[in-house]
Amino acid sequence: MTLARTIGFIASLAVAILFIFLWHLVTLYKLVPPVFLPPPMKTYDALVQGLASGPLLKASLATLQRMLLGWLLACVAGVGIGALVGTSPVLMRYLGPTLEAFRPIPASALIPVLIAIVGLSEGMILSVIAFGALWPMLLATIHGLQSVEPLLYDVAGALRMNMATIISKIGLPSAVPDILAAMRLSLTIALILATVCEMLSGNTGLGQWLLYSARQFSSANLFAGILILGVFGYLTNALMTVAERHLLRWKSPHEANRAGIA
Amino acid sequence: MTQIGQTAQMRLEGVSLSYGAKLVLSDINLDIARGEIVSVVGPSGCGKTTSLRVLAGLVSPSGGRIVYEGTPLSGPRRDIAIVFQDYGKALLPWRTAYQNISLALETMGTDKSERPDRIHALLKLIGLGNHADKFPSQMSGGMQQRLQIARALAQEPSVLLMDEPFGALDAMTRQTLQDELLTLSTKTGATIYFVTHDLEEAVYLSDRVVGLLPNPGRVGRIFDVNLPRPRDQLTTRESPEFLHLRHELYQFVKGAEQ
Repeated sequence: MTLARTIGFIASLAVAILFIFLWHLVTLYKLVPPVFLPPPMKTYDALVQGLASGPLLKASLATLQRMLLGWLLACVAGVGIGALVGTSPVLMRYLGPTLEAFRPIPASALIPVLIAIVGLSEGMILSVIAFGALWPMLLATIHGLQSVEPLLYDVAGALRMNMATIISKIGLPSAVPDILAAMRLSLTIALILATVCEMLSGNTGLGQWLLYSARQFSSANLFAGILILGVFGYLTNALMTVAERHLLRWKSPHEANRAGIA
Repeated sequence: MTQIGQTAQMRLEGVSLSYGAKLVLSDINLDIARGEIVSVVGPSGCGKTTSLRVLAGLVSPSGGRIVYEGTPLSGPRRDIAIVFQDYGKALLPWRTAYQNISLALETMGTDKSERPDRIHALLKLIGLGNHADKFPSQMSGGMQQRLQIARALAQEPSVLLMDEPFGALDAMTRQTLQDELLTLSTKTGATIYFVTHDLEEAVYLSDRVVGLLPNPGRVGRIFDVNLPRPRDQLTTRESPEFLHLRHELYQFVKGAEQ
């Protein structure tokens, strides 16, 4: 198992190096004009310089902060609303159709609306991220609560638990695997929406950085920004994996394998 | 153990239950004395588990009533604990052994400072002293069922309702747990209502065995078990009285199935 894992790690590293090498070859023989595709070394230089001199670092941190804040808002709202709707048949009946109608609306479609209402502000961006990233968590919470092992309700009944206790001690913990999977999915959505909002609003961030770099035909800066977005995506996902592995350590190895977290 | 004149701790008075048009239990009358071990046997579909759920207060009878300690039972009570057959589903898989027992204490509002001592005492009592931090998925079936029993005991129940608790365990584990249950019954003095399909188990554990008949579920015959205690897996099971009871029960269930 550990040997297989080590080999897998080395192989994945080799693939990444091979990819960069191919990129290098493409730029070396100018298969794509350098104004569109910079060589890896130039991208690296732009990355180091941008981070050291400040603007790229500032933009990166701004994007990271928006992404995480918006995502946290979405987590709280998604799990909160999901817990209410998932445990109340009445709320489900009243709210269900409205939620279903809102769900398919692309979050990006809300950007012009929110710009009109709250302006080109930080609040607009966070609202868009939260709205877009909310759905997976909301649906996962509802689904998780509705698929609680029925026998556990008998256990709760025999202990005379009240509704709040059932939700907090049985319902939500039992929905945690679903919720965690949704949180991981939402992280990606949050990153996409943060970037798009920055492009449209012009607020400092990687989205704006990418757009300006492209307009100035500064492909090295453009790729440096994309690289950071990739790193953000990778790191936040890796953190979620660590969190999942810890929070779901109670699963039997077989189940954990199936869930792809082992 | 039941003597004439002894008042019943729990009394089923003409209990019947129907789901829609289907009558599941019909006019069940039964007195259960404090500290008594009563087993319930019968062919499948005779309402064994349903009778347990009614006694637990999880289901209200359609007719008749259950009188518990002199007052009619209106719903689940914390001094009536249940041990379910499917331990794998009745335990919270995301909680350790320690935390699973804690669930009962948390719900009952036991003082936080008292919990650790009580939980450790229960784990020790049930033979899981060294497994406090294990999750159910890391425990064998026998250990999981012990854990469920410990959680039920955390309620300090006067009555323990057990629904085929050992049915899914292998023969050796089952016998070990039977003996442990008898020890617990002596230690705690709890009344035990034990649903099983294992006739020998019913005789081995019980003071009385209730034989139910199906369609609708009703009491067919009540067998008194006058085997001496403490019971022993070898000598008790080899005694003529035991074999005679087993024979009678077997014929009863065989007859009920036809």
